[in-house]
Amino acid sequence: MAFWNEIGNRIAWLFRRSRFDKELEEEVRFHIQARADELQQAGLTGADALRQARREFGSTLRSREEARSAWQMRWLEDLASDLRYAARALRRNRALALAAVGSLALGIGANTTIFSIAKEALFSEPSCRDPQSLVLISVSGNTWIPTSQYRFLEDAHAFDGLAGMNIQLVVNWRDGNRSYRLAGTHVTGNFFEVTGIPVAMGRPIERGESDVAVITHGFWTRRLGGDPNVVGRTLALDGKPYTVVGVLPRDHRMLAGFGFTPDLYLTKDPGEFMLYARLPRGMTRQAAYTRLQPICREMDRAYPDANRKWAKEVRLSAVGGTERLQEEGGSGVMPVVAFFAMLVIITAIVVLIACANVSSLLLARAFTRSREFAIRMSLGGSRGRLVRQLLAESLLLALLGTGAGLLLDLWLTRLLSRVHIPTPLPIELIVQPDRMLLAYSVALAFVVTLATGLVPALRGTRAGIGGALKEGGRQTGQAGYTLRNALVVGQLAVSIVLLSAGLLFIRNLIQATSFNAGFDTTHTIVSTIQGPSDRRGFVDTALERLRALPGVEAASPASVVPLNPFLAFNQPGGQFRPDAGSRTVRVQYNSNAVGPDYFRIMGIPILRGRTFLDSDRLGAPEVVILNENLARRLFGNTNPVGHILRFPNNRDTTVVGVARNCKYITLGEENAMAVYTPFSQQAARGFAHFFVRTRSAPETMVRKVDEALAGLDAASAVETHSMGEIFTGALLPSRLGAAILASMALFGLLLASIGLYGVLLYATEQRMREIGIRVALGATPGDVLAMVVGQSLRLVAVGMAIGLALAAVAVRPLSMFLVPEVRPADPMNFVAVASVLALVAGLATVAPTVRALRVDPAVALRHE
Amino acid sequence: MESNPIPELLPGTLYLLILRTLSHGPLHGYAIVKRIKDASREGLRIEDGSLYPALNRMLVKGWLTSEWGVSENHRKARFYRLTPEGRKQLDKEAGEFDRLVRAIQLVMRTA
Repeated sequence: MAFWNEIGNRIAWLFRRSRFDKELEEEVRFHIQARADELQQAGLTGADALRQARREFGSTLRSREEARSAWQMRWLEDLASDLRYAARALRRNRALALAAVGSLALGIGANTTIFSIAKEALFSEPSCRDPQSLVLISVSGNTWIPTSQYRFLEDAHAFDGLAGMNIQLVVNWRDGNRSYRLAGTHVTGNFFEVTGIPVAMGRPIERGESDVAVITHGFWTRRLGGDPNVVGRTLALDGKPYTVVGVLPRDHRMLAGFGFTPDLYLTKDPGEFMLYARLPRGMTRQAAYTRLQPICREMDRAYPDANRKWAKEVRLSAVGGTERLQEEGGSGVMPVVAFFAMLVIITAIVVLIACANVSSLLLARAFTRSREFAIRMSLGGSRGRLVRQLLAESLLLALLGTGAGLLLDLWLTRLLSRVHIPTPLPIELIVQPDRMLLAYSVALAFVVTLATGLVPALRGTRAGIGGALKEGGRQTGQAGYTLRNALVVGQLAVSIVLLSAGLLFIRNLIQATSFNAGFDTTHTIVSTIQGPSDRRGFVDTALERLRALPGVEAASPASVVPLNPFLAFNQPGGQFRPDAGSRTVRVQYNSNAVGPDYFRIMGIPILRGRTFLDSDRLGAPEVVILNENLARRLFGNTNPVGHILRFPNNRDTTVVGVARNCKYITLGEENAMAVYTPFSQQAARGFAHFFVRTRSAPETMVRKVDEALAGLDAASAVETHSMGEIFTGALLPSRLGAAILASMALFGLLLASIGLYGVLLYATEQRMREIGIRVALGATPGDVLAMVVGQSLRLVAVGMAIGLALAAVAVRPLSMFLVPEVRPADPMNFVAVASVLALVAGLATVAPTVRALRVDPAVALRHE
Repeated sequence: MESNPIPELLPGTLYLLILRTLSHGPLHGYAIVKRIKDASREGLRIEDGSLYPALNRMLVKGWLTSEWGVSENHRKARFYRLTPEGRKQLDKEAGEFDRLVRAIQLVMRTA
């Protein structure tokens, strides 16, 4: 505490500094006067007494100076004056300062933006009470647990509460005479009580309630117009009235994480849940596990299931932060983490290139000022003081750059939070500036300060007094030269790495865009309909209606839409028995149930056998069509048509055809297996997709198809898109990656070429005299040209060599983000990158060369 | 920060002496010097030049406060007063000093 009091006293002193000086002087005068009075009483004359008193006191100046320094915060005042000095120096060199701050700001802005997004998407804590004591339960290796098992577990009362949530559901919302598909999260009545999720308006769903809903802020503002009386309003959801009891706050972060944001939470039993348990105070997850394990064994006795053992692979995992990432590490999260990590690294490299430029500029300035430094040192200035002053300059640049970068970050993240990202899953990231971002930026500014300033400050002041004064800085100039050359080589090398990564992603995008998905997307419309009550009859009527539309060539139902993660294939794995024999083949495969016209609509040729027929219906012998990959895997080179195939669930079907391979889940997948079954032989499900082939461009038909289906059943929500739109969604990751990386790479290249330009120009200026002498002695313009271009070539060649060697290793891990056709090791990449760099380097060399050629010996010799 | 202006004084004892002198009531700078000189029968002399830096360092630490008043010979002078923290510091330093002196005496007598 005493420390803070002291700081407070010192700061208070700053405000009465001028009065302090006056008072101190007065006090000292009084002291001397008092002593003189005393001496006078002892018998001295007035003048003698005063003289004697003064002598005894000693230097009043020193005394006052020491008294003052008791109050001063030396480093703070020094810093302030250093910063003032630095600001003046930068103002004199406005273009330089602007360029430095601008390039730092762009790099830092990009870097902090990606940091903010990554932090929000990956590490944010969910909005709930005490996330530390909330765990996600999985039994038999699965987080999805049927309702009956949920009841069993809850009745065991092992924890302070056990609640269920199901995020995977689509809800039909009937508003006026239209239905909309909403992303609904179904929860158990005690969900809000157990998790303690706060609501902004109204109240949460309470235990034992049914037919109530809590809506998210986004849904409330977007779809309900921010209606202030929304609490108590009734929404028709899946044909039943639900009462809105509460609205979630704007910054609600769902337990599921990753920015996933549904439209509403409602009470409904969807058949299976993800279970969240509230651990009693102080209970560790290990202790909770030992408590849960016997309950699961008991559950195995109560619900024996040949296919799964409940007590197997029981796990309790964290709901937020880094812990969750570690636990889910094996699943689909890792590529996302790696992608963000790559972006952070790439943008950090851009910051470093910008730093190298700034450092190079400061270095040049430090050397032109080395004479001044030498004089100051010879007059008793300490080197530490000079280094500090030079560092203040880079500190100021770093602070300005980081500040501007943060503004850019705020603007970008604000934009991002507002723009709806066309992801198939409802994702909303609430990216807000927080303490972590601030700490990160401060650290970044610190690193930038040291990276840009330390070397120039140390090298610029190293010369010592003698050398610099004697030679006018020639010697040190040479040293600084080498250093700046090294910086440029480093920049060029790193740019090569960036360019290689950028090029790979651009090629990836081109490849993905021109990808042959294996089906025709140009004339296809997909309409998804949710919740028809009498499905069988409904599908038939819907098909009739669609076929009756003018311009429609064919229509077919299907259970899955390819290349759409939200409506994706599920990939069951299992053991097939070809010819129902004893040989089993274990495969992961995609499965779709389709109508007879599906293959014609999608332009997927049937290579062998036949397509489905109207006669392949319920009750008729079960039939199946395989894709080429699966056919080869199961039957080798024999024609599978007519063979019996026993499915993993022991169902026997007859193979009637082989369809050409195509893409199912992602464009990048290779050798995917697929099974098609007749739609009409499928068990009924809650929703269906209709594929429609149009004669003209599908965009004009989307509306008509939508209306035709919407008119069929008022309670069903319909969503219609052209296949092209769905394709765009599938391309989004490639587009995003290419856009970010390519722009970063180009920006890095620009900075590096500015660096090269600066160094060459500086070198030319420095060698002006030398060039003049050479020209005077008969050097041809060709010789001068060779001199400048030679230097450029040397720098570029060394930078390129190092860069290519680095890139060859560094881009290798990128293959995890790229389609297989784009190989990071492809030598063509490096050739292309090297040519781009050579071209840009050539451009950067032009101006310095022209400058050197224009040297007039008469003028140059008078130079200096 | 800590200069050692008076070789005759043990390091750090200047604060102790000032604190002790002020413990009877506020005094101005000159009176402090005089009081120490008199009390030590001229055995201790504080250099005038180092008094004010020391006083100011003690002000910073919050052991003293100062205010302007009128001296015995009717001149304007700054008076220093002990704060509660200053009194605490005095007790602490006096105790430490006593222990130190006793220890040194022990060594001098027995060793």
